Amino acid sequence: MITLIYRLILALIIGLVGWNLFTEKKLTMQLNCAMVMIPLVLRVLMVK
Amino acid sequence: MTKKNYITAALSLALAVAIMVYTGMNFLAARDLPWPEQGPSVTDIKLLSDWFPGLKDTNGDTWVYVLQGQKPGGKMLVLGGTHANEVSGYMSAFTFIETAVVEEGTVYVIPYTNHSAMTHNDPGEGNLQYFTLQTKSGARTFRYGSRATNPVDQWPDPDVYVHFPSGQQLSGSETRNINRGYPGREDGNLTEKMAYGVASLIRAENIDLTFDLHEASPEYPVINATVVHQNAIDIGSEGCMNLLLQGIDMALEQSPINFHGLTHRELGDHTETLAILMETANASQGRLRGATTLNQVLGGWDDCYVVSQKLNMLYVPWDENGHPIEERCGRHLQGIYEYSQAFNNAHPDTPIVYSGVPSYAELFTNADPATLGGAHLGSFLM
Repeated sequence: MITLIYRLILALIIGLVGWNLFTEKKLTMQLNCAMVMIPLVLRVLMVK
Repeated sequence: MTKKNYITAALSLALAVAIMVYTGMNFLAARDLPWPEQGPSVTDIKLLSDWFPGLKDTNGDTWVYVLQGQKPGGKMLVLGGTHANEVSGYMSAFTFIETAVVEEGTVYVIPYTNHSAMTHNDPGEGNLQYFTLQTKSGARTFRYGSRATNPVDQWPDPDVYVHFPSGQQLSGSETRNINRGYPGREDGNLTEKMAYGVASLIRAENIDLTFDLHEASPEYPVINATVVHQNAIDIGSEGCMNLLLQGIDMALEQSPINFHGLTHRELGDHTETLAILMETANASQGRLRGATTLNQVLGGWDDCYVVSQKLNMLYVPWDENGHPIEERCGRHLQGIYEYSQAFNNAHPDTPIVYSGVPSYAELFTNADPATLGGAHLGSFLM
């Protein structure tokens, strides 16, 4: 159960970071958002 | 948001997705483990879940190789890969499976005791993921895993790990260390279930003698050593003396009564087996090491340890020759042989007799020094 909640929280954060990626105007910040998403997505899929 | 910003955002996302796919495939490939070839005495290959169904369909389930002799006799269990970053442990298990000819008794070998730990590694340590050896059948790739269970399989770590049943308290990360989890728990976490599976096998098969093969950092005092449960001290003493007579520097220690969770303590306390653990020297585990390289892992060659030796900071001698994998596997395999011989002397009606496994001399002292560091070990593998 705790893992399911953890993954839901991760999915929410991924959504927020993704939203930020497409609303951010500076390229460096967009790249920053994209890099942050990598470990979060791998984790929510339980790959790493 | 302008169209230009939208395009750069989409390109950034595409780059991230490409990295996710590449790294994700790499991490998933680590779950596809190389296994030993069937040696001349392998009569059956079972799963640990055959003894403890609670492991079925989990990443803790692991293959158990059964080597049954022509005649009945004693029963022996060899645990490799308790810690999946201790290379000589599981490579000794591979070598035993692929070379042993068991004549009397039955030998069970688990190459990856903590199967889950072999499916990831510790990138923060700069550790390898794989290494390749040239064997009789050509190049074979082997995994280099982690000390602890994969956090994908067991999460989260508690702040404090409380051992069952003793109540001993350790650092939270030790909850994923199978060698702090014995005798295990049927309804525990995955690591405790794996430990329970091993204990279940020992009880069900009436295993007489259990070996747990490890490596240690050169700064760790229990190194080039055998640790035995007090029930096995006679066999340990005889075997250790025979190793010393062959020029193999081996210390003998009795398992501390109040240090719980380890094979040499709990398997002796909670089963009828005689529990023995052996440690060799692995440079790639130490804190004083230089960069983690293939030569360091397989050859034990590390300039930082040569300097550390001169500063008297190590518990094992170190020079430019290092401690190659052939020496480390040779110690384990010769140790298994000498301790099993001592068992046979004490139990002549139920001996464990085998041949074919390369000795310390064949693996190390008689080898061409130019072939040490993996090439010579590979020449014994199928």
